[in-house]
Amino acid sequence: MNVIHNAVAIMAPFLLAAIGGLFTELTGMLNIALEGLMLIGAFASVVFASATGSLFLGVALGIISSVLVAYLFAFVSLRLKANIFISGLATNLLASGLTVVLAFKLFGSKGVIHFPGAPVLPLVSVPALERIPILGDLFFGHNILVYLGWICLVLAAVVIYKTPFGLRIRATGHDSSTVESLGLNPQSYQLKAILVSGFTCGAAGSMLTLNLQAFVPNITAGRGWIALVVIYLGNKTPLGILIASFVFGFAISISNYAQGFMEIPADFILAFPYIITVVAMIGYSAVRHYRSQKLAMRRDR
Amino acid sequence: MPSVDMREICKYYPESGVKANDYVDLSVKKTEIHAIVGENGAGKTTLMNILYGLERADSGRICLDGEEVVIRNPRDAVRLGIGMVHQHFKLIRPFTIAENVTLAMEQRKYGVLLDRREAWKATEKVIADFGFDLDPGAKIADLTAGQMQQVEIVKILYRHADVLILDEPTSVLAEQQIRTLFDTLKNLTCLGKTIIIISHKLDEVMSIADRVTVMRKGKSTAVRNTDEVDDKELSRLMIGKGITYGFKRDASVPGEPVLALYNVSVAERTGHRPLLDNVSFSVRAGEIVGLTGVAGNGLEELEEVVNGLRKVDSGRIEHRGLDVTNASSYFLREQGMAYVPSDRLRRGSSLSSSVLENLIITSRRSFLNRGFFRRKAMEKFGREILKHYSIDTDLYVPMGTLSGGSIQKIILSRELSAQSDFIMFSDPTWGLDVASAEYIYSRILECRRSRAAILLISNDLDEVLGLSDRLMVMHRGKVVGVFENDGTLSKETIGEYILGLRNDFKGDAGNDGQATMGRGDGNGGGIDDNVVGGGSSRDCSDLSPE
Repeated sequence: MNVIHNAVAIMAPFLLAAIGGLFTELTGMLNIALEGLMLIGAFASVVFASATGSLFLGVALGIISSVLVAYLFAFVSLRLKANIFISGLATNLLASGLTVVLAFKLFGSKGVIHFPGAPVLPLVSVPALERIPILGDLFFGHNILVYLGWICLVLAAVVIYKTPFGLRIRATGHDSSTVESLGLNPQSYQLKAILVSGFTCGAAGSMLTLNLQAFVPNITAGRGWIALVVIYLGNKTPLGILIASFVFGFAISISNYAQGFMEIPADFILAFPYIITVVAMIGYSAVRHYRSQKLAMRRDR
Repeated sequence: MPSVDMREICKYYPESGVKANDYVDLSVKKTEIHAIVGENGAGKTTLMNILYGLERADSGRICLDGEEVVIRNPRDAVRLGIGMVHQHFKLIRPFTIAENVTLAMEQRKYGVLLDRREAWKATEKVIADFGFDLDPGAKIADLTAGQMQQVEIVKILYRHADVLILDEPTSVLAEQQIRTLFDTLKNLTCLGKTIIIISHKLDEVMSIADRVTVMRKGKSTAVRNTDEVDDKELSRLMIGKGITYGFKRDASVPGEPVLALYNVSVAERTGHRPLLDNVSFSVRAGEIVGLTGVAGNGLEELEEVVNGLRKVDSGRIEHRGLDVTNASSYFLREQGMAYVPSDRLRRGSSLSSSVLENLIITSRRSFLNRGFFRRKAMEKFGREILKHYSIDTDLYVPMGTLSGGSIQKIILSRELSAQSDFIMFSDPTWGLDVASAEYIYSRILECRRSRAAILLISNDLDEVLGLSDRLMVMHRGKVVGVFENDGTLSKETIGEYILGLRNDFKGDAGNDGQATMGRGDGNGGGIDDNVVGGGSSRDCSDLSPE
């Protein structure tokens, strides 16, 4: 079952970015900067990994770079009170421009840059267990960042539902004036949420480049946007996000697989994730409409 | 020794140039219920926001139990034992009561995790200690307004507050819930709590408060014991001049029906309980028909149906014999039906447009010359209206910069200047100060004198009782009572119908209405058989200001 195994690998960046996006979403902000934050993480991690020769330092510095840019984004949006959509857009443009400029300055290329010296992401391999059908594919034989994604998911679920911090995050999103009237500063929770999104997006980005041992301009290719869709499809819950990102991963994996033996035009294969996104969003809004109608009916009874 | 002592508090808003608080003094004794009364914009809420740390005074001192304190933010206030129930509830609707009560002061286990069981227990303890009846596990969204307010009070008590500030606590409550609230407050003072209540309902202040501080235009003008004053004197202190709302609703003989509804029903979208259930009534020239009820019982829907904003599923609406069922608002306006909506900020006006634009929007086509506005004619029209209705503002300021009272005056003047034969008012004085409300009332009565048919939809019992010739009560989409307002009608009786405690109205209400209702022959119909010799005259001096 290579399809499932690949799906799990493909979904990991979506999952990680969506976890961070979930935090900002719950505090009531539409964080479109996920894409840019991922890109920063992607670039910084592979550069640092190859420069230091340490995988850990590469990932860590990639995440830190992404968090720093997230802080800038938060400062502009929260302190300077810029429209969060515009500042998010600016973050994305900044990330896209900055990575290309730095790549050119440092490595003299505006195209694909290979880092053969960068350490390879180790796989967590348990040959005996990997042979278990489906479960083996789901849980074993992946690179370590995939497992980081799962740890983050469990942590996110605990933080959101089981800690005072999570309670306040959710309260901020529902009604920030209530949080304020209780003597808390809603903006500090929004800031923390943006920093969390910087962290997970940095990790998500590092996965993209460290897998390839190369940086490609705009390597994220809309994954941050799809992560936003994943948050909504997942109904803004950690479990929902897990399922939604698996659906995306699975769909992409199938289309990659189909490429091998079916006569599908390459352009279509490339467009597939985006087509899935559109279909999924339409389906989501249809389901929501249906649900709200049912809810209204129940309330009426 | 006073519990709360505020001295010479000043607060100036440079943006609007308003001195919200101008050397205000407030002294509240321990375990008393102290009311702060004043018109809108008198500075009551500003003063309380300062006490609760939501705003900072420019100067002045605050002492608690004789010790001077500095309150920079709500956190400081909470620490000092001050809590506030805001006019609009500060509750997270999808959360449970326990979660809302403990929010920001959560019960923890292992230092970092929420302890739901402890939160539940702590909430339950406060609920039990102070004699509330709430389930800590219930979701806020499922509660009534009265219960939500109780949660707000529990929230404050959980924070060990000794001083409770309540900002207009009765404005969202039904008559019965108000009584429960007052019992709660009295009970709390027995348990050693001090209560400050902001209100502009004088009868309530008289019944609940021990002492009252009157504020006027940013100044504290008087402090009185409630057993030493009457509401007339209080209102004189508030307004700062003699009582001027002693106008009379003089006798008026209603003419032919102008607007008539026959068995109008509106179904819920999902088809269960109807929003409007066989509503029939008529409004005749020269009379005011008052329509009241608690929010959610069909008043809003009826308002929209009569204005053409909502389609009816069955039944008929006639305007002077012409079938206007499901006609558009545009058509209805063309027919001479004016409308002063309850939502004056969104439906009644465009806040970002100028006063002039708001004034001419309904008559805009009369100012066109080959598709372009004739500015001179518009300005002339606008200035005449402002002068005639004595509104003190400029034509080109944006509506949004004006006070609520001025906005309502402008909407009113626009609607009245159309010389319509039918006018619907919905909560026309909601949130307005006494002077503005009084102005609105006198205009409504003037319309009646000029023989317009008036439908007054209002949640304010005093208002409908004071103004209406006939009064209808709606409950669950039905008209459950129709009364001639002959001066013998009591607020309590109406209240019982409003809350659905009584459903024994024998007469032409609701479904029974069909029997006596003329079937759309244009001049028959309505519930007018029992009116002989016109409405009764009634002195409206007891019309309680809002």
